Amino acid sequence: MRVTLAEDSTLLREGLVRLLAEEGHEVVAAVADGSALLAAVDADRPDVAVIDVRMPPTHTDEGLRAALEIRRRWPSVGVLVLSQYVERRYATELLSSDPTGVGYLLKDRVAQVGEFLDAISRVGDGGAAFDPEVVRQLISRTSHHDPLNRLTAREREVLARMAQGHTNAGIAGQLHVSQSAVEKHVNAIFDKLDLTHTTGYSRRVLAVLRYIGS
Amino acid sequence: MPLRWARMVAGLLLGCLSVPVEVGYLVAAGLCVAALSGWPAARRTAVRGSRSGLRGLTGFEGWRMATFFGEPTPREYPDRRALGFLSLRLMTGLLGGAVLALLGYGARTVALAVWVWLHGGRPDGIAPRGWIVAYLVVACAVLAFLVLQGIHAVANLERRLGRWLAAPNEREAFRRRISELAATRADVVAAIDDERRRIERDLHDGVQQRLVALGMLLGRARRAQQPERIDALIRQAHDESQRALEELREVAWRVYPTTLDNGGLPAALETVAERSALPVRIDLDLPGALDRATATVIYFIVCESVTNAVKHSAARQVTVQATRAAGVIEVRVSDDGVGGADPAGGGLTGLARRVAALDGRLRVDSPAGGPTSVIAELPCG
Repeated sequence: MRVTLAEDSTLLREGLVRLLAEEGHEVVAAVADGSALLAAVDADRPDVAVIDVRMPPTHTDEGLRAALEIRRRWPSVGVLVLSQYVERRYATELLSSDPTGVGYLLKDRVAQVGEFLDAISRVGDGGAAFDPEVVRQLISRTSHHDPLNRLTAREREVLARMAQGHTNAGIAGQLHVSQSAVEKHVNAIFDKLDLTHTTGYSRRVLAVLRYIGS
Repeated sequence: MPLRWARMVAGLLLGCLSVPVEVGYLVAAGLCVAALSGWPAARRTAVRGSRSGLRGLTGFEGWRMATFFGEPTPREYPDRRALGFLSLRLMTGLLGGAVLALLGYGARTVALAVWVWLHGGRPDGIAPRGWIVAYLVVACAVLAFLVLQGIHAVANLERRLGRWLAAPNEREAFRRRISELAATRADVVAAIDDERRRIERDLHDGVQQRLVALGMLLGRARRAQQPERIDALIRQAHDESQRALEELREVAWRVYPTTLDNGGLPAALETVAERSALPVRIDLDLPGALDRATATVIYFIVCESVTNAVKHSAARQVTVQATRAAGVIEVRVSDDGVGGADPAGGGLTGLARRVAALDGRLRVDSPAGGPTSVIAELPCG
């Protein structure tokens, strides 16, 4: 997978470049701020851009703004945003337009190398990857919503993993159940969230969006 | 010198001449207000009118003090105090008049006697014999001394009255102090927020990055296959953990130096000097005990100024001096660098707020081309 990196800490940037190279990804550019990132994406059109939210010059959210810009101008480029803490606004803004090829992870997750690489692959393939912590906070904020109260505890677990961007097979593996059991839960979720008439991948994303309540 | 005396005499003369005008005005205004006591509306108008006259006369007196006695012209004072001032200054005006009358009488007597003698006459049948002249000279000298002393004393009295008129009253002083306290309190809250932001940034951009990098190294080690590679990654991770600890210690130190509590200000400042990339000479002359708030502020002044010097000044040497005199501690941090420090910059603003919270003052003297001095004055004891 062709990856562009935007991270202002030299230490982490170098570490990420090595890690991705070791795992067989090609890092086409590694930059330290938002404008350099946009230039690099424009030049290389990578499969995925891994972006730190907080970068110079203002050290607030230039990474997020660059990510939104990339999604607007080059929709085929996946964006995986890394943030130092969970910010509900970041997740909803990233999801608001086209909820494919997008991810939002806590920076700490980089240390869980397996999960991080998995997220890069999902986002690069046009899927979604949301940090379990992000999803947990979003769910805790929205649990009072009526349609969600109709879900059973198991269905909630499945939906939470869907929200993180996992496939049915992945969810089955994590919950130690058969894939057909997961499919049953997923259909029940679509049913309860009134998404029976929509088809394809977007249905999963819509379920997540409904979940988040955005 | 003679000019000063001449001005004082002129001032007293004018002050004495204004007495009848002022007495006349006060009596007339008083009678007018009293006579209209049966008609409230008319009385109010009279009171208003008499007040503006009162202010006019007080303004004239203020001008007289400024012109002849070198006092600053009083600007703001309540009407009640203007009335008090005017009544009291009638006394000093009369006193001044009496002193001047004595001067005039003495001068006239001497001039007359000398004039008559020179023309061969005998005033009051007295011939100009030696002992008579001697008696006259001594009497003149004594009278001149008394008169000069009198002029001086009356002028001083007038000055004191003027100062009393101009002094802010208690309520005004309280009001000023309260708004000053409210401002410094808001500044302190803002300074605390700024510092917290800085600490947050230090934690997230420093310590957290190191820990993520450390986690990443360990994650790579777990996924690696060859033993040498695993070894190398774990060694790197070990080094990284050391650096993370150092970074954490740095941040904790910046938040609050514990040495300040254990070893006092000298020990804490020595640590600043030891950790600085530039040579720092420290010259503390602070006898007696320092309260903790003052010591902490001095510490942060030195710490921030030394950091700034290292970062921006291209200096070769930093000097820290602290002295205590007449209830004021002066802290001066100077370097021999290129100057051009901006007193409105984040760090210096924070310092100024901290210093203002202790009723002190912070000055930054940093012309382009250098050198830079940061000077703080803190009240103590």
